[in-house]
Amino acid sequence: MLVKDIMTRHPILVAPETPVTEVQSIMVENQVRHLPVAGDGKRLQGLITRQRLALSADELGSLNVWEITRHISQLTAKQIMLKKAQVITIDPDRTVERAAALITDHKISGLPVIENGIIVGILTETDLLRAFQIMLGLPMAGVRVTVRMPNRKGEFNKLSTVLAQKGWGVAGMGSFPTPRHSGQYDLVLKISDVSVEEVKEALSDIPDQTIVDIRTVV
Amino acid sequence: MTVAQPALGASKRPSRLRKLWDTLSVVLNSRIGTVGLAIVVFWVVIALLSLFWTPYPPNSSLFVQNLPPNLTNVLGTDHLGRDLASRLMQGTQVILLKTRLPGDTHVAIPGGVALWGVFGSLFLGAILGLNAGYRGGWWDQVIMQVLDALIAFPVIVLYLVIIAALGQGDLVVIFAITITGAPGVARLVRSLALDIKTRDYIRAAETRGESLAYIMYREILPNARGPLLVDAMLRVGYAIFAIGTLGFLGLGLPPPDPDWGNMVNEARRNIFLNQWAVIFPSLAIASLVVGLNLFADGLREEITRYQK
Amino acid sequence: MATTTSLDTSSITYGHTGPVLKLENVAIAYKVRGGEIEAVQNVSFEINRGESHGLVGESGCGKSTVAWAVVNFLGANGYVKRGSIRFLGRELTGRSGEDLRRLRGDQIAMVYQDPMQALNPSLRLGDQLKEVLTVHRGMADAEAARRSIEMLERVYMPDAADVMRRFPHQISGGQQQRVVIAMALLNNPALLIMDEPTTALDVTVEAAVLDLIADLRREFDTAIMYITHNLGVVARVCSKVGVMYAGEMVERGLVEQIFKRPQHPYTQGLMRCVPKLGADKASSMLYPIRGRVPPPHSRPIGCVFGPRCDYAQERCRMERPALRTMPNGVQVRCHFAEDIDPSQWQPHEDVELPTLREVVASEPILEVQHLKKYYEVSGSTIKDILGLRPKSYVKAVEDATFTVQKGRTLGVVGESGCGKSTLIKTIIGLEDSTDGKAEFMGFDITGNIASRDIKLIQELQMVFQNPDSTMNPSYTVGQQIGRPMVRFKTVPKKQVRDEVIKILQAMRLGETYYDRLPRQLSGGEKQRVGIARALASHPNLVLCDEPVSALDVSVQAAILNLLLDAQSKLGTTMVFIAHDLSVVRFFSDDVAVMYLGQIMEIGPAEAIYAPPYHPYTEALLSAVPIPDPTAAQKHIRLEGSVPSALNPPSGCRFHTRCPQRHFAPEGGAVCATQIPPWQETDNGHKIFCHIPLETLRTFDPVISHKEKD
Repeated sequence: MLVKDIMTRHPILVAPETPVTEVQSIMVENQVRHLPVAGDGKRLQGLITRQRLALSADELGSLNVWEITRHISQLTAKQIMLKKAQVITIDPDRTVERAAALITDHKISGLPVIENGIIVGILTETDLLRAFQIMLGLPMAGVRVTVRMPNRKGEFNKLSTVLAQKGWGVAGMGSFPTPRHSGQYDLVLKISDVSVEEVKEALSDIPDQTIVDIRTVV
Repeated sequence: MTVAQPALGASKRPSRLRKLWDTLSVVLNSRIGTVGLAIVVFWVVIALLSLFWTPYPPNSSLFVQNLPPNLTNVLGTDHLGRDLASRLMQGTQVILLKTRLPGDTHVAIPGGVALWGVFGSLFLGAILGLNAGYRGGWWDQVIMQVLDALIAFPVIVLYLVIIAALGQGDLVVIFAITITGAPGVARLVRSLALDIKTRDYIRAAETRGESLAYIMYREILPNARGPLLVDAMLRVGYAIFAIGTLGFLGLGLPPPDPDWGNMVNEARRNIFLNQWAVIFPSLAIASLVVGLNLFADGLREEITRYQK
Repeated sequence: MATTTSLDTSSITYGHTGPVLKLENVAIAYKVRGGEIEAVQNVSFEINRGESHGLVGESGCGKSTVAWAVVNFLGANGYVKRGSIRFLGRELTGRSGEDLRRLRGDQIAMVYQDPMQALNPSLRLGDQLKEVLTVHRGMADAEAARRSIEMLERVYMPDAADVMRRFPHQISGGQQQRVVIAMALLNNPALLIMDEPTTALDVTVEAAVLDLIADLRREFDTAIMYITHNLGVVARVCSKVGVMYAGEMVERGLVEQIFKRPQHPYTQGLMRCVPKLGADKASSMLYPIRGRVPPPHSRPIGCVFGPRCDYAQERCRMERPALRTMPNGVQVRCHFAEDIDPSQWQPHEDVELPTLREVVASEPILEVQHLKKYYEVSGSTIKDILGLRPKSYVKAVEDATFTVQKGRTLGVVGESGCGKSTLIKTIIGLEDSTDGKAEFMGFDITGNIASRDIKLIQELQMVFQNPDSTMNPSYTVGQQIGRPMVRFKTVPKKQVRDEVIKILQAMRLGETYYDRLPRQLSGGEKQRVGIARALASHPNLVLCDEPVSALDVSVQAAILNLLLDAQSKLGTTMVFIAHDLSVVRFFSDDVAVMYLGQIMEIGPAEAIYAPPYHPYTEALLSAVPIPDPTAAQKHIRLEGSVPSALNPPSGCRFHTRCPQRHFAPEGGAVCATQIPPWQETDNGHKIFCHIPLETLRTFDPVISHKEKD
């Protein structure tokens, strides 16, 4: 799964000359938190986030009430945006996890997706979280089961053999090193068209593996 | 409570007057066309007026020579002491209103030289163009080659040749205008015919086994009349211009009736004494030509808009 | 929730799916002399990312006007009068031109019906494609070329690198449209507006382009606004559809729901106008919508559809209905949408329905054998002029053999350039034939019209395609219908007027039309006059050259009914050509399928539309867009384009594109070398193919209806 698969295509863009007042209303009306600033040919020039709309304290201090209004009305996107060099971006062909890492490492909430300098999309925390939901099969009905297995080769094979024997379809899947238990992995499966009992019966016989959680209502 | 009615109910056959008014109102929608029409109407009114009344007899020397415009002679007098205004008025007649037949009979037929000349070129050009356009093939080749050769001659040379061969006279000038105008009309009609002949109603006529003449003159020609009308207006302008040129060269319409071009030519010799006698006939020619051009432009503008 | 039968992931979307385009209560007006006209009123809809939204309706309903308003192409006198148009969350109305240009940037692309509107004829296609990238994006030439070729391959353009070097006129219409689509997509637009992009294309090409559009929508997440008059096309490419009538959106919803259960009387009417593929005149009827679309300046106060609606009540005349959302999510602009049950519908008494007469097979009236029509091609090289090079011919009609029986209708189908029009022209005598035999009522008609007797000419008349050029603009309706009577002296001169009025009434036009000029008539009325003119001399055979293809569907239904009625009353024999397979099936008793000048299959209509069929017929049928999203249609697409008739393929002319060639003997090798045999099944159904009939019989029917739940 790559960035281009889960990003939001055709994001709302603004031109550098756009007045800040308009920028603000665009962000509020469309409920977006990131507004890439693009020049001719959708080339990235900068990025505006909610924080960029706030005036810094020293700037405020130097102005009186009348000047603030004028000052704000004359501001353009170009003046308040985070400049291109400072914007952290990602290529559409990078992986989803790399994108997530960039977001967490830099403590930001979204990345413009850039291909050859041109904005092709935007990837935000929301997009990642949505992909995460889909990955674990949230939109699909079925039994959600968490299987704990030792961290060694061949364990997953045992499980998949059982699934293959039963002819079950997997609607979502994810694996994580078990929190606070090193040497073990938790595997979350969403199996469709089965009942909880069937799953319990089929999976509980696998040696060294235990069902730690099973539910239909997620 | 109104319910939409599907367009007009019983419609009477439109009368000719009604049609004329429709066409005219189309022109009046265009500002340029209206201005042009006003100028043309002005000259037509002058021409009609001159049939009954001119301030003074146009051909008699009643005044001092080469007077500038003054209260008695509104536009001044020429080198023979004739009233310029009267002569200008009279000059419209040969262009727009009457054609004098040869001989000393003083018999004239209605319709000026310019009009008959244009009519002649339309008539000849339409026949040639229709045959070339509709029949195509060899007809097209031969007709268009001949006409192209004719176009290749400078117009003024063609005039001179014709007048040299046939002598001066109103009919000769008409003939000259016809010959020089016909190739242009023929080209226009040919291109229209080429377009119109692809229409389905021509196929329908062909599948009825209609004669060539019927298809050309009854099916195609009426649909070419819009562009032809515009072209005719322009051509009347050219013809007036040509008559003026010929008059200036001394080869135009024969005396005694004044002719604008001739008036310019005669006054030219005294241009340093009296510029007015040159300026007013020149202005007359220019205004009528410009008027016709504007009128044609307006007509074209509105006709093409109408077609959409 | 217990279980679902299968993992349906089609509804899952990644990323943000908010609307790309959102119109709210938009009214668009044009300023005209003495006032203004509201061409579009109260139109609201939205298109999300990756969604394709259809706009259907008949001509003059304001579909294109909506598109033009979005791209600000309304012209000098048009403007958005009310409402809001939001593109990517930003208001487009009330902005200046420069502002709009910057806002839209290269985010909206438009594809028109005629691809040449978007292509510069004097530039190489490669340069035009590259320009999109180099000018705005400042991309290097080589990189731009690489991406252009990539994009051309994405739109399934064969030999993309070579196409880059060509000029627009050197590729076919379908390919031009692909280039235009590729050009539009190079910018990766958020919104793609397509205004009848496949209307001018042949059905097999159209099918390929529609497939392409559906593919690209998924791949690029582009929002598509698809404007068309063809319900079948909507069913194939759109997920949602809005039905427009007289400048208003009367119904809007998911395609499946609208087609399964149309709730607005207009939508229901539209569906009844279109012949279903496979339906014929004996078993089904077309019900035209009575009346006509009101012009913008005389729309009723109440419901715009009221005057034509069979359910109209007092309230409909007084009060304009609002767009209401029904329980199933479909929005309908009708006061009584809940109360209307389409299954109880009865045609209004004003609706003209034909009375059909059973036609018994009788003696043949037209017999054509081995008819050929070649056009000589004159080259322009010196060798050609001197006659040194062997002459080449366009083989427009090759070896046509068929008979038409008195009182019956032969339908001829085929794509453009297949020779169907030439065939008709040869029969009627606009062209003389090159070789072969053709007899009409026992008289030879191989020569052109000049060689025919006037009595013979009178018996053969023609109805034309284009309503705008079928009548001479300079003469009144009466004069034009009267002319054949005068010409053939079928009616004494004094009675011509009475006779014309009689025919006008038969055409349901009435006496008032006698003195009208063609420009005062609508397209359908002109076509009626065209038919009246053809029938005026009481011909025995009427040749119809696509008489309904330029008309709106409701008018089309009325004209087809009129022709059927006239045929059964007068016993006229007809040859009917059309490219619409459903119409031909509906109208004809016998059908001939032509490809590249050759009749490929001929026989009774019902036999042509069911297996066994010729592989070409099968491909045609599988390409027809069916106005029924639940119908499953075989997916057969022809490769490449129709070869030149100047140098047609040897053996079977279809062998270069035949998808079933491997079934033929020797794995299809014979197809390229030998002319196929005529294989006869029964009751005169003949197939021109090498593939044995037994194999052809095993093919599945092209269209199967899924079981309805």
